[in-house]
Amino acid sequence: MQQYILRRAILNIFVLWIVATLVFFAVHVLPGNFAAQQFAGANLGGVTPEAIARAEAVLGLDKPVFEQYGTFLWDLVQFDLGESFRSKRSVWHELGRAVPYSIELGVLIVLVGFTIAIPVGIISAVKQDQLPDYLLRGGAIFALAAPVFWTASIGVILVLQWDLFKIDVDGQPHLWEDPRLALQWYLIPMFAGGIASTATTMRLLRSQMLEVLREDYVVTARAKGLPERTIILRHVLRNAWLPVLTVMGLTVATIIGSQIVLEQMFNVPGVGRLLFQAITLRDTPLLEGLVLVVAFVVVFTNLFVDLLYGLLDPRVRLA
Amino acid sequence: MTPPDASSALPFEDRISPLARFTSASRALGRFFRQKRLGGFGLVIVLVFSVLALFAGALGRYDSTFVFDAENPNFKADPTVAELAEDPDIGSPRVVAQYQAPSGDHWFGTDRFGRDIYARVIHGAKLAMIIGFGASLIAVAAGLIIGVISAYYLGWIDLIVQRVMDAIYAFPFLILILLLVQISEPSTRNVVFALGFGGIPFAARLIRSAVLAVRGSEYVQAARVIGASDLRIMLRHVLPNIGAVLIITFSIGIGAYILAEATVSFLGAGPRGEISWGRMVSSGRGELDIHPWESVFAGGAITLLVMAFNLLGDALRDVLDPRLRGV
Repeated sequence: MQQYILRRAILNIFVLWIVATLVFFAVHVLPGNFAAQQFAGANLGGVTPEAIARAEAVLGLDKPVFEQYGTFLWDLVQFDLGESFRSKRSVWHELGRAVPYSIELGVLIVLVGFTIAIPVGIISAVKQDQLPDYLLRGGAIFALAAPVFWTASIGVILVLQWDLFKIDVDGQPHLWEDPRLALQWYLIPMFAGGIASTATTMRLLRSQMLEVLREDYVVTARAKGLPERTIILRHVLRNAWLPVLTVMGLTVATIIGSQIVLEQMFNVPGVGRLLFQAITLRDTPLLEGLVLVVAFVVVFTNLFVDLLYGLLDPRVRLA
Repeated sequence: MTPPDASSALPFEDRISPLARFTSASRALGRFFRQKRLGGFGLVIVLVFSVLALFAGALGRYDSTFVFDAENPNFKADPTVAELAEDPDIGSPRVVAQYQAPSGDHWFGTDRFGRDIYARVIHGAKLAMIIGFGASLIAVAAGLIIGVISAYYLGWIDLIVQRVMDAIYAFPFLILILLLVQISEPSTRNVVFALGFGGIPFAARLIRSAVLAVRGSEYVQAARVIGASDLRIMLRHVLPNIGAVLIITFSIGIGAYILAEATVSFLGAGPRGEISWGRMVSSGRGELDIHPWESVFAGGAITLLVMAFNLLGDALRDVLDPRLRGV
């Protein structure tokens, strides 16, 4: 067991090193950088190649690529992600400000997602090939196809049409600071993101439940006259929900993707928005740091899910 | 009919007459529609959008860039300076027909610049189709090479290739695409390549497992015994037997690529100079309270087409290889 964890962790670190290398060379080898980008934005008369070169020298972008790569890796081993070109603050500092917002919104999205997906998956399986099943599956097909920025826009349209509440709130409050105002701010993005993440979970839960419903012990439970409710909740759901966990890693990646869009749309100063800014401004250290942190979350969520799986289901042995 | 001794010299496929091929293909299509109603529905929508994309000029009713004008409801022949200061257009009898609601003239209304939204939605189908088919083709082609090599040789080649695939997988898809598009010029070609590149791990993984299954088969062993080269085995024995998986991999990804392009365009990083549904949703967000139409219709088009491709892909998978359910 310990050996397994160790081996997986080492493999994950290897994967993260490849991620770091890919990002590094993607942003360093291809033309254009932060210095050039800055001058492209500012419409100054005296932008000479020398001025750009000077700016590059200040940022250390003039050194040979492999020297920069070496420094980058060496800093990385010491958990030093460098400082943002734009804000001149350390990447960890930027992360410290952004992460709480992203976790808040992410957790809300997951909550909404599961609150919808679990009952929908159960009903769809229990009423297999009946009207509710068709309607719910149709809904899932729709939710999988609808872009999150579109569902969020529809949400905004509805709120504006009926003048329900103010979407732009002041002061970017956290949930623990001003729960009411924060929830008002998060309401549309959390539902848009939640709905987008339900389809996969719901479909998997449904197919798993259908499989378990055919098991002998369910027949036995029926034969001994247990109420249907008990059978579904105690015997079927208990055995069906575990595989749903395995897609959590995938779900996390999807949610991070939709958070980039939602944070951008609703001015949430989270990781997704920061990442988008880092990409557009070519803020290399910030970009590398953020991508690595996101990749870290994804690969270790997968490891965690696999371990949890073995822990919760003794039938699964880790090889 | 040719005599049996002559035809047996030909490979089996060449002995089937074109007519028999046609009837068997049309029969298979009929069966597909009967057994897979949702897939058939998807296929019809995909075909409709393909026709719209091909004949956008004729079916879009108007030029997608034409600026319409309309009578100015506030027109006054001799406005005072104060009135002009309040409404600079008050002196002109006709103004740009911006933000019009859907009507007989403009089925989906007009946008901020007085352009017909219906025409723009129809023209937007072109980009979506190019993106979907192009990106999926690149992903499958590259995934084929990587998947076959990785599964055929196994060992350390496989180990390293799979870890690199894991690394690309660990990037959330959207971040990868934004990064690739941003560091290259945001042209249609580059967006197609970026999306195709991002799809390689997905394609390579499916193809790899298909090759693994074929690799252990007796006919591959037999070919090896009679001394066939690796390349010959891959081309003559492995490739023809993973055709179904290739079709599934190709069709099942298209929806995701279209969705990703729409998202990238929505964020303002999409291909320049093309009509993109994603960017239309974004530009319609300026006046959502008075004029939701541009966002609603462009987003609806994305949803409908992505849904159609997903349904078609699922149905093809069920028909061609039910074991791949759940990918």
